[in-house]
Amino acid sequence: MDIFLDASLFATTLRMVTPILLAALGGAICARVGLFNVGLEGLVLIGAFSAIVGNHFTGNVFAAVMFAIVCSLVFSILFGFMSIQLKANVIVVGIALNFLALGLTTFSLRAIFDVKGAYYNKDMVGLPKWDIPVIKDIPWVGDVLSGHSPLVYLSIVLVIVLQLFLFKTVTGFRLLASGENPTAAKSLGIKVSRIQYGAVLMCGVLCGLAGAQLSLGNVTMFTEGMTSGRGFIALVATMLGQSNPLGVAASSLLFGFMDALSIRLQGFALPTHFTMMLPYIVTIAAMLFFKDKGYMQEARKSNESSR
Amino acid sequence: MDKLVQFGRALLQPLLAIIVGLAAGAIAISIVGGSIVETYGEMWKGAFGSFYFFTNTLSRATPIILIGLGVALAFRAGFFNMGSEGQMVLGALSAAVTAIYLPGPAWFKLIAAIIAGIISGGIWSAFAGWLDARFRMNLLITTLLLNYIATLFAGYIVSYPLKDKTGSAAMAQTVMLDQSVWLPKLFKGMSVHGGFIIAAVCAILLFLFMRYTVKGYEIRMLGGNPLFASYGGVQRGKMMLISMFVSGGFAGLAGTVEVLGTQYRYIDGALTTPGYAWSGIMATLLAGSHPLGTAVAAILIAALQTGGMGMERNTDVPLEVSSIIQAVLILFVSAKFTYSFIKRKKAGS
Repeated sequence: MDIFLDASLFATTLRMVTPILLAALGGAICARVGLFNVGLEGLVLIGAFSAIVGNHFTGNVFAAVMFAIVCSLVFSILFGFMSIQLKANVIVVGIALNFLALGLTTFSLRAIFDVKGAYYNKDMVGLPKWDIPVIKDIPWVGDVLSGHSPLVYLSIVLVIVLQLFLFKTVTGFRLLASGENPTAAKSLGIKVSRIQYGAVLMCGVLCGLAGAQLSLGNVTMFTEGMTSGRGFIALVATMLGQSNPLGVAASSLLFGFMDALSIRLQGFALPTHFTMMLPYIVTIAAMLFFKDKGYMQEARKSNESSR
Repeated sequence: MDKLVQFGRALLQPLLAIIVGLAAGAIAISIVGGSIVETYGEMWKGAFGSFYFFTNTLSRATPIILIGLGVALAFRAGFFNMGSEGQMVLGALSAAVTAIYLPGPAWFKLIAAIIAGIISGGIWSAFAGWLDARFRMNLLITTLLLNYIATLFAGYIVSYPLKDKTGSAAMAQTVMLDQSVWLPKLFKGMSVHGGFIIAAVCAILLFLFMRYTVKGYEIRMLGGNPLFASYGGVQRGKMMLISMFVSGGFAGLAGTVEVLGTQYRYIDGALTTPGYAWSGIMATLLAGSHPLGTAVAAILIAALQTGGMGMERNTDVPLEVSSIIQAVLILFVSAKFTYSFIKRKKAGS
């Protein structure tokens, strides 16, 4: 049982889960306003790439993260414009956005850095690692919780902030209302499309952060298509968590833990293929128990009728 | 006359999209400092420049057409089947295994392999449909997750139990198929094979099926207006299983013809790396789920890809220009829904 209680296993989980969690929170906000954002994968990829670009040109980590946020924002505006203004099918727009992100990042990788496949530079500085003063000294907890990048802590704070924002503030209620029943919300004078734009923008910021953590926090490099399905996993986490920030956090953690565990299990006699399957199988099993309570259905219905 | 105008209008949108896509590509080309005319010239040559390149494009289009048809059927029924990749991989694996290990005459093995490919792809897809119909699990999500499971499973099978141990290379692949079960090449020395004929026939059959049969009408109704369909007595759960099975079957067939016509063995990653599944989905989106249109769009996308490769061989412009063009195409085409949406709104008021 020792391997399950190893502190480094949980520390890895926390680090791996942050990009997924941040993107999933963005997906959750979009789902709450009735936009099922399949483009998370692409937005995170854009964030990851532009973080590296920002880092390369400014040499400043903070500026790099800001640049990642701005680039993701631009693409989320595109997503918003297509799906809110032009009423295009959100799922189709999301898929197209993923293609665009993959093509553009790979193309720019060639155009800017003149390399193919991956960009790595040993002079690049990654996100700093923060030690938390008191917690650091607690034996097991310190090893798990301390020494992560600021974005890891930010993601934890954001979960709580978003939970309070969605369920305890007036704006949050308006946001929920415009997703649940746009017509009723409109009749109360809520500007539904403005709120939808707001949600999409928030999603862009979160995906930018997720990308920055991916390329500057976990590693300090960019590889073609480095999100490798994380955006889709975030989508799953959004759905499993029923678009509820706390639920999203729980389901992302479940997935991250399974991921870290599967890496750990590779040391044993099991073939790696099966250990790598574990997170996906567990997620499907978890979906059996946590059915979505209609938010996705609602989103799906709304885009079906617009076709 | 009216019909002609309607036809023209249906064609106008894709043509406009292609122009916008090429314009976006031109911007990308000029950013890296290439000559636009010359680069597009190389691209054209790489895709259609000679008979060899043309057949090369058709051979690449073959799996894309089949996958696109499957996805188109599911889309028409209102289901987002994102699991073509896993369905294709499982279809390819079972076709390879059947063709290698089944005893009997060659024609029997060939037919059995094709059927095995269709059935295993179909069952994998219908499984996702069943999870949705029975447990209300979101189809889009389950099909995505099942992709990973299928590719990992196939990877395991060819890395351990059925690994080719005869060659010196330690690649994860099955042994070579016997030459008698290979799908014949259409022209000697060219890469296009019998699978292309199968794909073309499938496109026509699916078109006729959707248009002229009761089941086809029910599927279209289910996608177009689910409430009306259920009022008219269409059982969503049953239709979901059937259409997902056929949809996955097409994807399985795509994998099968790749194995029987091009690679002659199942190689781990040989089907997933070129991104056939996503190209198929793109073709469907471009053609608005029309079966014949999907086939044409698939050839277009394959041409963009093979053309991009030719371009990269002969100029300094990277291959990825093609993917930018493809993505812009789809973004632009997706706005089509809007165009008809606005018109409907105006007509209503």
